[in-house]
Amino acid sequence: MKNRNILVALGLILAITAFFGIRSALAKPEAVPVKQVAPIHPTFALLDAAGKNVLESGAAISTMNSCGQCHDTDFIQKHAFHSDLGLSAYRRSSPVDTPDGEFNASNGMFGEWDPLTYRFLSQQGDERLDLSTAEWLELNGARAVGGGPATISREGKLLTSLNANTKDPETSLLGRTGKVEAWDWNVSGIMEMNCFLCHTKSPNDQARVADIKSGNFGDANTATLIGTGIVVNKVSDGWTYNKDAFDENGKLKSDFVKIQDPTNANCAACHGEVHTNIEVPLTISAYDLTNPQTATTGQVISAQRISDSGLNIHGKDALTRSWDIHAERQLKCTDCHYALNNPSHTDEARKSEPDHILYDPRGLDIGEYLKMPDHNLARGQSAQFNVAPEYKGTMRRCENCHDAAKGHADWLPYIQTHMTAVACETCHIPQIYAPAIQSYDWTVLTLDGQPVKAYRGVEGDPKAVTSLLTGYEPVLLNRTNIDGQKLLAPYNLITTYYWVYDDANGNKRPVRLFDLKTAYIENGVYSANILSAFDADDNGLLSKDELVIDTSAKEEAVKSKLESLGLKNPRIEGLTQPYSINHNVARGENAVNDCKTCHDDTSRVSQSIKLANYSPNGVIPIFDMANNVNATGEIVKGEDGAVYYNPVPANDEMYVFGSSRVNWIDWLGSLLFVGSLLGVVGHGTLRLITSRKQPKGHVRTERIYMYESYRRFWHWLQTVAIVILLLTGLIIHRPDTFGALSFRGVVTIHNVIAVILVVNALLSVFYHIATERIQEYIPRPYGFFDDAIVQAKYYISGIFKGEGHPFEKTPTSRMNPIQKATYFGILMVLLPLQILTGTLMWGVQQFPAVANWFGGLPFLAPFHSLVAWTFATFIIVHVYMTTTGATPLEAMRAMVTGYEEVETHELAEQGETK
Amino acid sequence: MKKTFPSWTVGLLGIVIVILVPVLYFFPRADKVSSNPMDYLPEKPVHVDHTDIVKGEFKTGQDVTRACLSCHPEAASQVMKTTHWTWESKAFNVPWRDVPVTIGKINQINNFCIGTQGNENKCMSCHAGYGWEDGKKAEQANPENVDCLACHADTGIYGKGLFGNPADGVDLLAAARSVRAPTRENCGKCHFDGGGGNGVKHGDLDESLYFPTKNNDIHMGGDMNMQCTDCHQTQDHQILGRMVADNYTINPQEQVSCKQCHVNQQHADERINTHLSTVACQTCHVPAMALEDPTKVLWDWSKAGQDGRVDDHFTYLKIKGEFIYEKNFKPTYLWFNGNNEYRYILGDKIDPNGITYINKPSGNINDPNAKIFPFKLHIAKQPYDVVNKYLLQPITSGKDGFWTNFDWNNAFTIAAPITGLQYSGQYGFAETYMYWPTTHMVQSADKALQCNACHGENGRLDWQALGYPGDPIQWGGRDK
Repeated sequence: MKNRNILVALGLILAITAFFGIRSALAKPEAVPVKQVAPIHPTFALLDAAGKNVLESGAAISTMNSCGQCHDTDFIQKHAFHSDLGLSAYRRSSPVDTPDGEFNASNGMFGEWDPLTYRFLSQQGDERLDLSTAEWLELNGARAVGGGPATISREGKLLTSLNANTKDPETSLLGRTGKVEAWDWNVSGIMEMNCFLCHTKSPNDQARVADIKSGNFGDANTATLIGTGIVVNKVSDGWTYNKDAFDENGKLKSDFVKIQDPTNANCAACHGEVHTNIEVPLTISAYDLTNPQTATTGQVISAQRISDSGLNIHGKDALTRSWDIHAERQLKCTDCHYALNNPSHTDEARKSEPDHILYDPRGLDIGEYLKMPDHNLARGQSAQFNVAPEYKGTMRRCENCHDAAKGHADWLPYIQTHMTAVACETCHIPQIYAPAIQSYDWTVLTLDGQPVKAYRGVEGDPKAVTSLLTGYEPVLLNRTNIDGQKLLAPYNLITTYYWVYDDANGNKRPVRLFDLKTAYIENGVYSANILSAFDADDNGLLSKDELVIDTSAKEEAVKSKLESLGLKNPRIEGLTQPYSINHNVARGENAVNDCKTCHDDTSRVSQSIKLANYSPNGVIPIFDMANNVNATGEIVKGEDGAVYYNPVPANDEMYVFGSSRVNWIDWLGSLLFVGSLLGVVGHGTLRLITSRKQPKGHVRTERIYMYESYRRFWHWLQTVAIVILLLTGLIIHRPDTFGALSFRGVVTIHNVIAVILVVNALLSVFYHIATERIQEYIPRPYGFFDDAIVQAKYYISGIFKGEGHPFEKTPTSRMNPIQKATYFGILMVLLPLQILTGTLMWGVQQFPAVANWFGGLPFLAPFHSLVAWTFATFIIVHVYMTTTGATPLEAMRAMVTGYEEVETHELAEQGETK
Repeated sequence: MKKTFPSWTVGLLGIVIVILVPVLYFFPRADKVSSNPMDYLPEKPVHVDHTDIVKGEFKTGQDVTRACLSCHPEAASQVMKTTHWTWESKAFNVPWRDVPVTIGKINQINNFCIGTQGNENKCMSCHAGYGWEDGKKAEQANPENVDCLACHADTGIYGKGLFGNPADGVDLLAAARSVRAPTRENCGKCHFDGGGGNGVKHGDLDESLYFPTKNNDIHMGGDMNMQCTDCHQTQDHQILGRMVADNYTINPQEQVSCKQCHVNQQHADERINTHLSTVACQTCHVPAMALEDPTKVLWDWSKAGQDGRVDDHFTYLKIKGEFIYEKNFKPTYLWFNGNNEYRYILGDKIDPNGITYINKPSGNINDPNAKIFPFKLHIAKQPYDVVNKYLLQPITSGKDGFWTNFDWNNAFTIAAPITGLQYSGQYGFAETYMYWPTTHMVQSADKALQCNACHGENGRLDWQALGYPGDPIQWGGRDK
């Protein structure tokens, strides 16, 4: 067969050569020689389970024995969570073991209840058999590499050593009729860890899955090699192998040894959409759980530009970014998810090293590694894949390869603050472009035994080519990393509704799909009770709108059906589960890089996400807490009947500028400001009215050189600085109101002017100390209150009666007691405070520890705003007060020219007033 | 107080200075040099409609030129200094010859129609001059032979015929009245149809560029609608840009460059910028050529003259032999520093069993001035003298030419006195390569190459052939 193919091919080549004549002779220089895959792998014999060469025995291949000739396959299998799938963590979840009645018997696919796949792995002693080990393997084997629960029982025995027994969920199977049948593992065989699945270029997954689905577990691994030229086909008593693929010693010829490192395609087979050939427009093969990573989150791994894909994506033309920048940059799955003891991924230094060691060259020799490669692959901080949690966070994360401080240096303020609060993914995965599952409603069943499904990011059925894919913005939730660090990260939330009941042992169990089908469907159509409750238009069919439990009558109808099947206390529950999003990373230019995305009234941080279009008869789902995501937000039912998750950043002790506002500061500040404004306007109006009734010019004035030039200069420079600082500060405070201005420019002005103000203030302090004029500002304690009251009385009444100022203004004593107190407060308290808080706010970028000691930005920023308001208020009052001189403009003129006409008082008069 | 400025104005000035100087100094500002490429396009003079200016009557092309020169007296002498007129490069000292050589259509050969010498009646329909029937010397001496209309007339009105003269039936007055600055149509008449038909020669220049879409060429297509002269900027009829294939070395100042307009523009992606010292702009931004019209990639002259075969423009013509055309295909990539390492000079010895390079771009991985550059490779089987071991130039046109009587021996014999190459009487066909830089049909960033076009499993570059040990992503670049 093979030879004939070669002959035909040769003939074709000859024909083409002849036809094109020269063309084939003139081989173009661009032709790249075909690279041989891992030519270094030596040849080896294929052995069966008994250790015999399969050429002789004709039996199925045993990967453990074949690969075990050189590699320590036992070690590999024991160090592979892909194989274990939770088996080693398995323990019955009964009220005895888990008092809260949790479903989960393990942290992996084998034992962790997944409401999306719905079927529940039955435990020893369960009232009803749902999913036995054998059926679990039939259903999930397509995505299991073998070994673990495919070979070993929950008690740690070989499955083939168990006796078939209908009472034991490990050796039985729920038949189609609902009758439990015994399962003989010696007939089906067991499925060893399948090395070929990940280590050959094109494993025959179709043939493998066909064997798994039909329960021929022992044949699955051999079927993987059909089509490679090694395995010919299955025969009644075993397998036939292509003898030409083997040499005289029974070893594979080197041409047939195509062992390689796992490629992205190998990983994709189980995990989700990975598209490697960018010349072919990307399409998504499935939006269901055969493609889990894509189905649950919409993540697609491809170097292709989104605009070049074959998907009907909204605004596609403009989406010229690639699906995933790391894929575009040629990173492979295994570059991040590598074998942990792979010497080429030796970390800088192990955590256990002394501090002064930066790199430890003592590592595994490549030969040692190849013998015992750790198949626990480095991994991140996934929310839903919790098997072998001790390996979470072993992966090189973004910050191990990227220096965020350098990468963002040219634009992002407060880099450190951002990095300690926000995961890289939050900004760098701003949008998911493919649809993802939103909810599965298992409280009802379609006629083909499926739940009612809803997707986000698509208008209509995601698989239909006419549906418009809109994608979605992930919700941001706080994740607790394995090291305890809390970071805001993007998630999809999937909500499931389903029926549960209490079984005979008092354990909560999901209603079996078998029972649900029995309740809903009879002979391929909906049963009469169900129809009468659900079929509102009496057409004998259940439309999409009808197939939802939205009334108590419908709930009762199903409930009574389930009860009639012997299910105790059937009830509806809802669960919302987070699915982490870590791929589909965008480069900076396509990431969130507009401050206002988060720092605005409508912040991304508090953006809610729809969980489900409805809640079945009012059941609100609860958030799944069995993961590293802190759901501190609230699940609420909207006015449209849909269920939403609203993040509440404050519950995570997050303060987001522009989004989390301390409103009372602005209220208080503006009240102060407006109140003072109204006050001085009122006071001024009164003065104006009363001044008309008084005779003019009765106050004696005298022209005095009041302010020497430096004082005037100092004063006006400070005036300009403060006014500019207030204005720019206001813009920085409310950028949403002043969007037209360059935020960055305004911040620069604010900072530069602040420095000028500080320098000016210091120089003036020096001047005042050097000239001892500082005393003017220090209120004399003796008689201070008396004097202050006198001055206050003057402002309250005397000023309206045309009385003279109670205290004379002289170059050496220019201020009255109230002024002294005010300036003392402004210059000695408020100004230093403002300088301090301002410096610290700026300093958060340079010396965050100091700023954090003062309460960090969440305290400093509102405080700075509050002081700014008092400064603004001061200016109003201060300017008004200057009008209370000899004439309204006299004081101001004096501050310009230095000379002021001031009232002079007789000594006697002064004494009298006192 | 004196009646000068009051003293407080000094303070005011001081305050203004103290505030403004630091603010202006620190204020973030945009670069002074514009990064908008549109700012670097040449300003076009306002078009002067010549309808009312030009008066007849014109019987010959030379009559028109005389009229042109009456107002533009310098024009002819300027044109006569250009290669559009001389069809010949300046003299080069080449290592394989003792005397300086010039290169051009006038005296050298290519691997398309081979050579113009003796074939003037046909070939000169693309020369910017009239009167080749009088021979090269007479033609080149007369300023009135300058063909102003070829570049300036509406191509819908004017066309050229035999010996570079106006085609029969052309209304010369109407043509002369239609003159304007050259458009893509004027340039395209010769450059899009070089090699004997639409798109034959260049691969990146063909008639699809008369009315290009933005997808065909981002500069010429769409809203930009740029003309050839926007990049091939012209002064005194001297047009910027040199034909790589017909030169030995080229002063970069004389070459068109992307950087003429793309000043101060960096890719937002630093990773792309790290490529700029090794990869030409064209390499990524001209991912494929002959996007709409196919171009010739192989020409087998040895099959010419066979009887009984059906003529087909794209596969076989009796007068020319067998061809292969390709469309929308990847260029060939070579290191290129702008010069040729070798250019075949008439009489150069060849190895008939090996590949003869008509031109071989200069550059290699160790040449700091060389970048990886896209080329169209044109392969030919063309005639050579079996005894003398050099390539031959046949006379193809005319009544004694090969195209009339299909007699190679005669075509070479009558060519000998014209080309000065002795013909031994024995001919064969040797394989030749000619490289044409691919620089038009530029694509915008969203259609340019991505990383894995070159890197990774199915990349289009042959790293070993370029001198790398392997994919530089894994092995490091030439700078390490």
